[in-house]
Amino acid sequence: MIEVKNVSKKYGDFYAIRNINFNIKDGEIVGFLGRNGAGKTTTMNMLTGFIEPTCGQIIVNGYDVDIKPKKVKGLIGYMPEGVPLYSDLTVKEFVSYMADLKLVPHKKKKEAVEKAIMQTGLDKVRNRLTRNLSRGFKQRVSMAGALVGDPEILILDEPTVGLDPKQVKEIRELIKSFKKNHTVILSSHILSEVSQICEKVIIIDKGEIIAIDTPENLEKNTETHLVFTINIEDAENQFEKLFKNDDSIKELKLIKENDDQTKVYQIELKDNITDDTEFRKKFAIRCAENNILNLGMKKEENSLEDAFIKLIEDRPEYSHEEIKKMQYQKELDDLRKEIDEKKELKEQKKEQREKLKQEKKEEKENSKNENENSEKEISKEKKDLQNKNNKDNSKGGNK
Amino acid sequence: MLAIIKKELKSYLLSPIGYIFIGLFLLMFSLLFYVSVFYYRTVFFEYAFYDAATIMTFLIPVLTMRMFAEERKNGTEQILLTSPRSLVSVVLGKFIAGMIIVLIAISCTLIHFAILRHFGTPDIKVALVTLFGFFLLNCAYVSFGMFASSITENQIVACVITIGVFIAMWFLPNVSTIFSNISLMAMFTHFPSGLIVLKEVVAFVSFTILFILLTIVILQRRKSVK
Repeated sequence: MIEVKNVSKKYGDFYAIRNINFNIKDGEIVGFLGRNGAGKTTTMNMLTGFIEPTCGQIIVNGYDVDIKPKKVKGLIGYMPEGVPLYSDLTVKEFVSYMADLKLVPHKKKKEAVEKAIMQTGLDKVRNRLTRNLSRGFKQRVSMAGALVGDPEILILDEPTVGLDPKQVKEIRELIKSFKKNHTVILSSHILSEVSQICEKVIIIDKGEIIAIDTPENLEKNTETHLVFTINIEDAENQFEKLFKNDDSIKELKLIKENDDQTKVYQIELKDNITDDTEFRKKFAIRCAENNILNLGMKKEENSLEDAFIKLIEDRPEYSHEEIKKMQYQKELDDLRKEIDEKKELKEQKKEQREKLKQEKKEEKENSKNENENSEKEISKEKKDLQNKNNKDNSKGGNK
Repeated sequence: MLAIIKKELKSYLLSPIGYIFIGLFLLMFSLLFYVSVFYYRTVFFEYAFYDAATIMTFLIPVLTMRMFAEERKNGTEQILLTSPRSLVSVVLGKFIAGMIIVLIAISCTLIHFAILRHFGTPDIKVALVTLFGFFLLNCAYVSFGMFASSITENQIVACVITIGVFIAMWFLPNVSTIFSNISLMAMFTHFPSGLIVLKEVVAFVSFTILFILLTIVILQRRKSVK
């Protein structure tokens, strides 16, 4: 379980990460998604304790990264961006050094190194110097270094960058195979990758989290319209006339005119249409009626790519100065709030004090009254007694 | 720490740096020895170490410049600092590995002692005291070189800083007497005559500890600034 609470990272007065919050459960595969420079690597570096957040708290399996860094680092296997390796070591030496660094017990070391090498498919190159390996193998070596000693959490920074398609596929399969025993956090700016591997996506832009959800939900939640790509043979050039004023079409665009006199159009349906079967039928019939050959009709899938782009594009673009101004304004507002709160507190205290004073006064007055009353009572009693005595005396005198 | 020492030694001995350092030192030391024995007709093994201290001024930076600068440039620093090892053990590991290489170089000079021993009767105690003093001097040199390497990611800059400061320490006492106490080499004057002066030992050891600590502080500080 990883908990990130109100974490920010500031470089000078530039916020690389601003106030992010998220939780990652055990055994989840989570993808960080964002453009270059969005703050993915910074977040990962903070998770691994390589850099300290300016403020906020990161808790990994109950340990605070700031307070118990060794414990946390022992739980994490990290594959940094750009796959740094010691170029003068062989693959086996490197993995074995990583095992040493990670405090793998001496007895289990050989086994752990062997396991990591086999898991990442490095068996054939185990005795080669890492500097002589191809990019794909280097990536694997770095991953083996992260894997050795079976850490509970794997953090992989752009694991498939710079690989050929076959290698990408292999690495993806490898990451999927970690799912049973590890929590995996990976970053990427390639959406298809994240949607294939991850169960949860965290989209970061300009240091802020703009969405945390499953890939499917993200796709669903971004409303887009139905779009078709249509390939037709239209000898009499009637297509555009026919469909231009159709009440279910929002936009009609000619994309391509092929040499064999076929044309490719893109049709976007109006926002209120969610079911496209009616349109398809109508379209086919009308084409047939007007001698237009319908060669193919493809529905454009609403992809995660769109979801991502939409999420990011919906955010206003600010220049550096504007951001600075906003930050300044925010800080001012915060200060004002603080001052107001302090004032309120003071006033409350004043009121309380006055109340207390009044209460005390009242109490004093009450006690005075009581005293007077009691004195009166006492004097009354005295008088009564005196009267009685006088009466007795007078009675006795009479006797 | 042992793992780091082992790996560092491997890097020194798998790359030419370790051999260049030991080889150059022994070559220059042998020349000095030859000159002092055959040219000046002395039979003192120790005298060559005055000049050997000067040689180290230029050789130690070659050994230390890569310690942290290389790791930082290659990004392997990230591997090291995200492992469950404390900064202290990382820094000490690197320092000790460097000192082991220096120690190998120094102990090779015992061959020269053996040559003198074959032809005469040099005093072994004085020779050992000299070697001890020379070792302490090199501890101070290596710790400063390591510190210089930790403040930059360019090895050449680290090397130049180290040599520059060593040369400054060497010549400043000639400029003014105010600086007479900062010269490391001036503190090495009594060891070759067989004297262990407590003041000098303390000076070397505290200089070493100071710069090891400063290296740790620099690395720690970079965590929050980076």
